[in-house]
Amino acid sequence: MTTRPLTEFEKTWSPGVSRAARWFAVVNNQPLGKRYMLTAFVFFTIGGVLALLMRVQLTVPENNLIDPHVFNQLFTMHGSTMMFLFAVPFLEGLTLYILPMMIGSRDVAFPRLTAFSYWTYLFGGILFYSSFLFGTVPDAGWFAYTPLSGPRYSGLGVDFWLLGLSLVEIAGITAGVEIVVTILKLRAPGMTISRMPLFVWALLVTGVMILFAFTTLLVATVLLEMDRSIGTRFFDSAAGGNSLLWQHLFWFFGHPEVYIMFLPATGIVSMIVPTFAQRPIAAYTLVAVAMMLIGFLSFGLWVHHMFTTGLPPMAMSFFTAASLMIGIASGAQVFAWIGTLWGAKPIFKTALLFVFGFIFIFVFGGITGVMIAVVPFDLQVHDTYFIVAHFHYVLIGGVVFPVFAGLHYWLPKITGRMLSETLGQWSFWLMFIGFNAAFFPMHIMGFLGMPRRVYTYPKSLGLTEENVIATIGSFVLGIGFLVFAGNWLRSLRRGERASENPWHAHSLEWSTESPPPNFTFGTPPIVTSREPLWTKTEVPAPQNENVLRAQKALSNAPERWRATLATDPLKAEPHAIQYLAGPSYQPFLAALGFLTAFIGVLVKGYLVAALGMIFAAGAIAVWLSPGKRWLQYVASSPASTESGLPVHPNDRRSTAWWAMLCVYAIGITCFGALFFSYFYIRLFSASWPQNGIAVPELQLPLLSYGLLLASAGTFYWATRAFWAGKKKRTQIVLAGSFVLGASFIALEILQFSQLEFSPRTNAYGSLFYVISWTLDLFVLTGLAMIGAMQLRMLNFFENRIGFTGLQMRITAMFWYFTVIAAVAVFAVLYISPRLFA
Amino acid sequence: MKAPQIRTAIALMTATLLCGCGGEHFQSVLHPASPEAGEISRLWWFMLAVCGTVFVIVIALLIVAIGRRGNRKPQAPGGDAKFVLIGGMLIPGIILFVLLIYSISAKVVLTGDERNLTIQVIGHQWWWEVRYPNQDIVIANEIYIPVGEPVRLQLKSADVIHSFWVPNLHGKMDMLPEHINTFWIRADKPGVYRGQCAEFCGAQHAWMAFEVVALSTNDFQQWVSERRKLAVEQVASAERKFSHEVYMRVGCGQCHAIKGTSAVAQIGPDLTHFGSRRTIGAGLMTNNTETLTRWILAPQKMKPGNLMPHTKLTDEELQELVAYLTSLK
Repeated sequence: MTTRPLTEFEKTWSPGVSRAARWFAVVNNQPLGKRYMLTAFVFFTIGGVLALLMRVQLTVPENNLIDPHVFNQLFTMHGSTMMFLFAVPFLEGLTLYILPMMIGSRDVAFPRLTAFSYWTYLFGGILFYSSFLFGTVPDAGWFAYTPLSGPRYSGLGVDFWLLGLSLVEIAGITAGVEIVVTILKLRAPGMTISRMPLFVWALLVTGVMILFAFTTLLVATVLLEMDRSIGTRFFDSAAGGNSLLWQHLFWFFGHPEVYIMFLPATGIVSMIVPTFAQRPIAAYTLVAVAMMLIGFLSFGLWVHHMFTTGLPPMAMSFFTAASLMIGIASGAQVFAWIGTLWGAKPIFKTALLFVFGFIFIFVFGGITGVMIAVVPFDLQVHDTYFIVAHFHYVLIGGVVFPVFAGLHYWLPKITGRMLSETLGQWSFWLMFIGFNAAFFPMHIMGFLGMPRRVYTYPKSLGLTEENVIATIGSFVLGIGFLVFAGNWLRSLRRGERASENPWHAHSLEWSTESPPPNFTFGTPPIVTSREPLWTKTEVPAPQNENVLRAQKALSNAPERWRATLATDPLKAEPHAIQYLAGPSYQPFLAALGFLTAFIGVLVKGYLVAALGMIFAAGAIAVWLSPGKRWLQYVASSPASTESGLPVHPNDRRSTAWWAMLCVYAIGITCFGALFFSYFYIRLFSASWPQNGIAVPELQLPLLSYGLLLASAGTFYWATRAFWAGKKKRTQIVLAGSFVLGASFIALEILQFSQLEFSPRTNAYGSLFYVISWTLDLFVLTGLAMIGAMQLRMLNFFENRIGFTGLQMRITAMFWYFTVIAAVAVFAVLYISPRLFA
Repeated sequence: MKAPQIRTAIALMTATLLCGCGGEHFQSVLHPASPEAGEISRLWWFMLAVCGTVFVIVIALLIVAIGRRGNRKPQAPGGDAKFVLIGGMLIPGIILFVLLIYSISAKVVLTGDERNLTIQVIGHQWWWEVRYPNQDIVIANEIYIPVGEPVRLQLKSADVIHSFWVPNLHGKMDMLPEHINTFWIRADKPGVYRGQCAEFCGAQHAWMAFEVVALSTNDFQQWVSERRKLAVEQVASAERKFSHEVYMRVGCGQCHAIKGTSAVAQIGPDLTHFGSRRTIGAGLMTNNTETLTRWILAPQKMKPGNLMPHTKLTDEELQELVAYLTSLK
């Protein structure tokens, strides 16, 4: 089949022309999704080995096999690996691979961002694990409570942890933007919001959650790293900081994180159950609503990890109530699956077996979850093996089992080969029995007084039998994983070839070849129901002429540039042709720049760090500047005229406009987390500003912030001139905005030089400076965007309704956001200390 | 009861706890020795009954769903939406509401008043400093309390976050570096209850244990006056003066205080009453001359990573030290 020469269209979609390009410049979602999943599985294997080492040490009481320091490193790395390097990245990889196929798109919305996300994830993971080479492995636990993780009580290992993690967080946030925009903008015509597969619903909720949760974690890790590297005092109680602030920030991320892993997993289950029951999911709407409810509630639960810190009981009851509501939303999903299976005589394939295992284990873990949301009970079992048991029931039962179900379900699509059912069933039963043997006894250990994170326990606690059983179980579980890996490797060579739709499934990914072509769909599919493959033979609703026209125009076309259909977020009516970038080295280089910068911070070589950031910024600038060749291809292509759809709309029809909304969410979270920290620390301070520092003077800030505010006005003036087609005036007025913004930065520097305190003085000083710096960073980014806009107008002013207009729109959206953020920062830093003094 | 008798009584209680009927449940959530722990334990059994039933019903439904004869057009009983709405949301909602009410009304918050005993407990990496401010007693890794009355604990940390937990008496309360958490406990009956740090605090988190010794009111008063009397008397004799010189010369005094002597450093545990201490190394081993000798010789081998350095000693110095420390009751 490879004898036929590739068509121009196929060449356009090929991952890369040279070997190097296929490795480092690839932007296609399929190879990157596979790489993401494979990398995550490597980390999963390492994390599993670390767990087995811990189980060996804990088999018998008062065991001296593993040194306490090493044991602490083992559980820190195990937890961090499973949470940050396996679960979320694996699901992101699966999403990148399967999501476009499921919604009928050719790729994700921002292909180069996919590549950037993968590289930062890989580099973050490698940075994390390189700590082993230097013998300074992180050892402060996966949630790194301050002050244990602060500069006084821990070594370089925690820096590896924080910096590696920050890279992985950046990867996560970019994947979040990617997922949200792809779902909202690239669904096949006719796939209205109420026809989206439930996996897509789950991912939409997850994507939005990632934006808020991961950004909060990023802020927290940056604050802690600054405490450790440049001597700020956020978490230092000796200088007005607060160690509980870390817990608030961490769990504001950490609790949603559980659902960021769990929701996609339930989405997988909601795809598999209908397939094997051969009927649509029961109560589709309720399941979708339940997922949104879980996503929303999960941000109101963080305190339930802090019941023993001495908070007021009334506040804690609120968090109990919110936690219990999650139980209702989860109940709806479980009953939807049971209802779907009711009397449907499901086909017992391995994938469904894993789903049954999931329901059994997850319901169990959910129920213990309800118990620990009850404050008095949690006071006892908090931080004991009961909790270890509970969250492994939730995370292995609720995430790993669905992931394995998903692998048995989708691997034939991905590799084009069927897995062996016999080996599949063996791996299931080994995993199921091994899992329960490993983790059920841990509930009892918790009751009988075994705290978490101990490298050993006294014989007198009488926990030997339970621990022996747990260790045996964990090895059986490990063997189950190995059987799966063997099954997968065997299938690659000897597996039966998979047809397009081996399970007679319902969703669009099963309508393309197995494995799919690089462009996924030659002809963009059109959807008329929730289960498009089951209702295909039915007479389609009278098709909108525009839809058929768009489909025809994009059928194996355009030939020389990559494109897919962009549709309306709710009604999924086609309203643009989305240009998608081809192979590029820039994402790899940008990620490399970030890695260099982070290594610079790690070794306290700030010059290296600065050079790394400059290199990354350069790569991003090249990445964002228009490729003239592509522009010509687009301009000369008949796609736009044939379909009657614009290629570069400059309004909310464009993916970039929606990505800007995601940037807003990230920015709001970023400032929100900083303002929360500011007022939280103020709440626990005897005086404010701390230690008799005077409230900052108003004159200079009034001037600098006033200038920044004025720049929004001039910017508005510039956009008016721009849309009116007045090139010269636009250039001059925009230059005015630039000067105003630049003078803000200059005046900030002047003001900092006059202040009597530094970021190291106390927590107030740290907050004041870091909040100001964050704003400055936004202003500098905005200035760079204005500069880029000026350059763009020199050559492409005529393309006002096309991509130049889009750039103007994006720059404006960013600048206005920055100015509004500046008003908020001014209110917090300069006005609030004068109020309620 | 006199001091030796108290010791015998405690030894007997320990023996009962360790090997007597009921087995080794001196650090167990399910063997409460106070009204509060009892309430939590009851709450657990109640939740187990309710949630266990729910679990069994859900799994039974799943099995029935799979096993049912195929319908031509499969549908959940009563229709899909109704099945999910009632079975998956309404019924769980009612059950969870009942749980919420029960949990809020559970009487687990204990308080007392000014007349009750106050004890300051300060967490260190990896031991517990225990101070009786009104009785002027400082001990470590064990807390003596009178039975049947609330005791006010003022919990604080000297370094990283620790968590105070004696499961037979109550739940946990964290010990923070920035402020004091007040926590009340009480014990119903005399006994020894083991406690352990529950918040990961570094290398030797596993061996940061302590014991709560609950004595009858009289025995407790006796214990207090005994300690106060001994603290003054036991350092006076000439023989001890010589031992103390050894203690200071080999460096013990740089970290450990002994009341009434020139050893005033506050870095390690106060050793004024070391001879009456039940364990060494925060619950690591029982305190006797043999274990003490091993401990002084190789603290890093006994409890790797702890902050006590290796000390160079001659055999005579070692014997002198062991004898001195065990004599400090």
